Amino acid sequence: MAEIKLKNLTKRWGDFVGVDDQSLDIADKEFLVLLGPSGCGKTTTMRMIAGLEEPTGGEIWIGDRMVNDDLPKDRDVAMVFQNYGLYPHMTIFENIAYPLRVRGVDKADIPERVQKAAEQVELTQFLDRKPKALSGGQRQRVALARAIVRTPKVFLMDEPLSNLDAKLRVTMRAELKHLSRELQITTVYVTHDQIEAMTLADRVAIMKHGVIQQLGTPDDIYNDPANLFVAGFIGSPAMNLINGSVQDGMFVTTGGTRLVKVNTPDRAAAILGVRADDMQVHEQGQGDIDVTIYAFENTGESTLLTVQWGKQRVIARGDRHLRKDQGDVVGISLNSDHLYLFDPETENRIGM
Amino acid sequence: MRDNTLKYLLVLPAVVVVFATAIWPLIEAARLSFTVGRLNRPGSLDQYIGWENYTWAFFEEPAFWNSVYVTALYTFLTVGLTTLLALGLAMLLAPGGKLRSAAQTLLILPFAMSPALIGVSFRFMFNPEFGLFDAFFGAVFPPLADVSWLANPNLAFAVVVMADVWGWIPFLTLVLIGGLASVPRDTVEAAQVDGASGWRVFRDVTLPQLGPVLAVVIILKSIFSLKTFDQVFMLTNGGPGTATQTLSHYIYFNGMKYGQIGYSASVAWLMVIPMIFLTYAYAKFVFRKG
Ligand SMILES: Nc1ncnc2c1ncn2[C@@H]1O[C@H](COP(=O)(O)OP(=O)(O)OP(=O)(O)O)[C@@H](O)[C@H]1O
Ligand SMILES: [Mg+2]
Repeated sequence: MAEIKLKNLTKRWGDFVGVDDQSLDIADKEFLVLLGPSGCGKTTTMRMIAGLEEPTGGEIWIGDRMVNDDLPKDRDVAMVFQNYGLYPHMTIFENIAYPLRVRGVDKADIPERVQKAAEQVELTQFLDRKPKALSGGQRQRVALARAIVRTPKVFLMDEPLSNLDAKLRVTMRAELKHLSRELQITTVYVTHDQIEAMTLADRVAIMKHGVIQQLGTPDDIYNDPANLFVAGFIGSPAMNLINGSVQDGMFVTTGGTRLVKVNTPDRAAAILGVRADDMQVHEQGQGDIDVTIYAFENTGESTLLTVQWGKQRVIARGDRHLRKDQGDVVGISLNSDHLYLFDPETENRIGM
Repeated sequence: MRDNTLKYLLVLPAVVVVFATAIWPLIEAARLSFTVGRLNRPGSLDQYIGWENYTWAFFEEPAFWNSVYVTALYTFLTVGLTTLLALGLAMLLAPGGKLRSAAQTLLILPFAMSPALIGVSFRFMFNPEFGLFDAFFGAVFPPLADVSWLANPNLAFAVVVMADVWGWIPFLTLVLIGGLASVPRDTVEAAQVDGASGWRVFRDVTLPQLGPVLAVVIILKSIFSLKTFDQVFMLTNGGPGTATQTLSHYIYFNGMKYGQIGYSASVAWLMVIPMIFLTYAYAKFVFRKG
């Protein structure tokens, strides 16, 4: 049983605020992903939970114990460090075995458990080497193995897959997903990678400047972004954001195009958000509006059309068999079920 | 001119200087160590007597063995104490340590003092009539008042050791602070999270990574302790009796005071032997690869 509770957690260095008065409840066995741009306070939050950074204010609870004053060793967490933190003078075997050794696990059990952890991260052939003799991705997997060799109350993983190649990353992602379902241990997982966040998380917390912008399931985050930042951050390509206003129940672009019907009271300024996937590409004249292609990209699994829309550029996703060229004119229509309106002032979502 | 020739030509002056000031005296001392070598007896510097000076030191001269014993104990104590205290201080003063401040800069002060000056100032501090320690200990614990520190063989030895430790701690502390700063912080943090207590983090993670620097510190200090002279000369002049007579002082005494140049050259050469081992070890650690 180990839910994590952060109560008004704050970290300041002088005037600089790293984490700003954040409260967050992470349920027992939950896999929570912290997602956000570089420098938003993800690592800092994690280090405070681990006890490596002293909060300027607020409380940290693990299970039913307030751990603010507990040493890292007494918090029973396992952490994968962003820059690994391997012991350079120990072999890989000794590195992975270290948490077992210091916690007094029966010596006879250690080799077997190390072997198992090494298998899970596909590292068995390197056990006799020193960290210096491994590649970045291999070192990262050692760090991962050192965390999963034990069953702690809480896993803290700071971008544990960031240095793996694309293929290994997919394998390890699946391995982690499997492991987390199997072990059922509360996990806080930091990443830059949206796919990792979407696939691994029970819930995702999106951070910016030390403040959680939205906390929700991957579905919520993707389909119900709370504000412009979340909308723009999640999804690839990023959500299209079109400036305009609402007049007579229609969204009108700043260029004057009456675009689409929206169920919102009229307002002088609004931003319309629409994902590339929620736009259909048609032949010229068959969509809601005709636009000129600015750039045409074929990604293999689909095509991306950057189109000039008045003064703005917008990206739409087309069928993978679509073939067009720069300068061609196509028709675009919007799926009115998946449109988001934001207030440019507050940047918050306007209820639709 | 070929690059190859040029490069030898360029180092030649340095080689000549080193030869003239270090190698040549060593060779000349080796030669003298096989002669009668008395300053007051003309011609004796070329009067060869084989290994007699050496056998004399080994078999006929308890004072030699006394100096060996004094030097060994002195080296053991000063190296041990200085290293331990410097390591403790470095832990407190290192980045992330508990005591980092301008104190770190002030620390260098004792090291900036010449050993002879340290000797003189300690002699004054331990003066039984107007010394600082006399006043201090006398006030705290009256029976200690008026103890003649430097007149008691054991106390005098302790004072010499203390003066040396005091003089050397700052420099070695700075070296060790540098060493500690090069131990990656994540490894220490990883060990803390892995469940290691403060002591185990130090033993399992900090110390092994500090190993090479620590080895250099110990070897360097051993070399300097083995050849200690100036402090002893100023503080106790080897006394009382021969209680604090280190080998260097013994060599000086025999050579300069009694004019037995041949004999002191042989003792000096005996000292070269442990030095060679230490220097070799030092070079190995300092110039080690990877
Ligand atoms: N010891 C420190 N002193 C001052 N500022 C710090 C310190 N540690 C971190 N910061 C600042 O706090 C902010 C948050 O840092 P943090 O490491 O938590 O970012 P992050 O979200 O993990 O970023 P990344 O994705 O790049 O790892 C950064 O702007 C960083 O510069
Ligand atoms: Mg980080």
